[in-house]
Amino acid sequence: MPLINFAAREINYKIVYYGCGLCGKTTNLQYIHRKINPDARGKLVSIATEEERTLYFDFLPLTLGTVKGMQTRFHLYTVPGQSYYNASRKLVLQGVDGVIFVADSQITRLDENVESYLNLWDNLLGQGDDLSKLGFVIQMNKRDLGDVFSVEDLNELLNHTGSPVTESSAVIGEGVFETLKVVCKQVIAKTG
Amino acid sequence: MARRKGLVINDRQLDRCDALLQKLREVSGSSFLALISTSGQPITTASDEYHPETLSLASLAASSFAATQQLAKILDENEFTLLFHEGKGLNLHVSQVNDQVLLIVTFGRDTQVGKVRLYTQRAIEVLRQIFDGPDDEVTPAMDADFESAAGTAMDDLFKDV
Repeated sequence: MPLINFAAREINYKIVYYGCGLCGKTTNLQYIHRKINPDARGKLVSIATEEERTLYFDFLPLTLGTVKGMQTRFHLYTVPGQSYYNASRKLVLQGVDGVIFVADSQITRLDENVESYLNLWDNLLGQGDDLSKLGFVIQMNKRDLGDVFSVEDLNELLNHTGSPVTESSAVIGEGVFETLKVVCKQVIAKTG
Repeated sequence: MARRKGLVINDRQLDRCDALLQKLREVSGSSFLALISTSGQPITTASDEYHPETLSLASLAASSFAATQQLAKILDENEFTLLFHEGKGLNLHVSQVNDQVLLIVTFGRDTQVGKVRLYTQRAIEVLRQIFDGPDDEVTPAMDADFESAAGTAMDDLFKDV
């Protein structure tokens, strides 16, 4: 649900990073915040517990600049991954334009990935949105670790929509911007 | 299933909102006002010298308000239409205009809460008419040119990272 302010020549899109606890959602945002031109981003806001686990969300605004006379922004959010924070996840999903589902590629995290993936679709369907207008990418994270699923296996397990898939190691920044670019292009294409 | 619909603001709506916020700021004695979307994006602001970081403020206020609505549901209350934070030097007042728009007002301790609430309530009635009235201006869609230009801008922004 982008906010298009023709009077102020602005357009704002909301992108949400979703996935199970400790899959790397906040790490994605922290890497983007560290690496992108400081003029193109705002403050990284985190509502986290004392143990630095996300309690409500992280928020990072990015400015793409002026495109065809419109100041274009992406507002990046994460959700809390732990299963008992579902009420908070639903709130963060309100008004979303694009979702990056961050999958933890480790074999030991399969159950958590599947639970989070099903929870995402439950929550999106519960909002009553037309999901064909939603940007959606699956980021297979932690590819640098051993004992991980193959991309093909994870794709079969988690990608019932046949959506674009990217591979990443968010902690070292690999694949972080590639994933973001894919979802940003999708949400712009689906706005028209 | 509901169609995904963006919030689109045209020139006339924004001019009327700006004039109204300015008037509300003057009569209520508030220091900063902002209209934001319920998904946390700023629409427009009115302020004197005080300029908080609007993007973060909009995101946090919208999220807090959404949480307040859920608290209402848990407590079997139909809705909480107002969120109020009282500080040592500054107060924050967030109220709902309609399903897509919230109004943020900040004011100092020297301004009466009742005065702000009264004028804010009146302003919301006018704001509802502005946002809920018939959209008599045709707003252009984001076309293929925009998509292509945005793609190029993204390539530029991300190329050195």
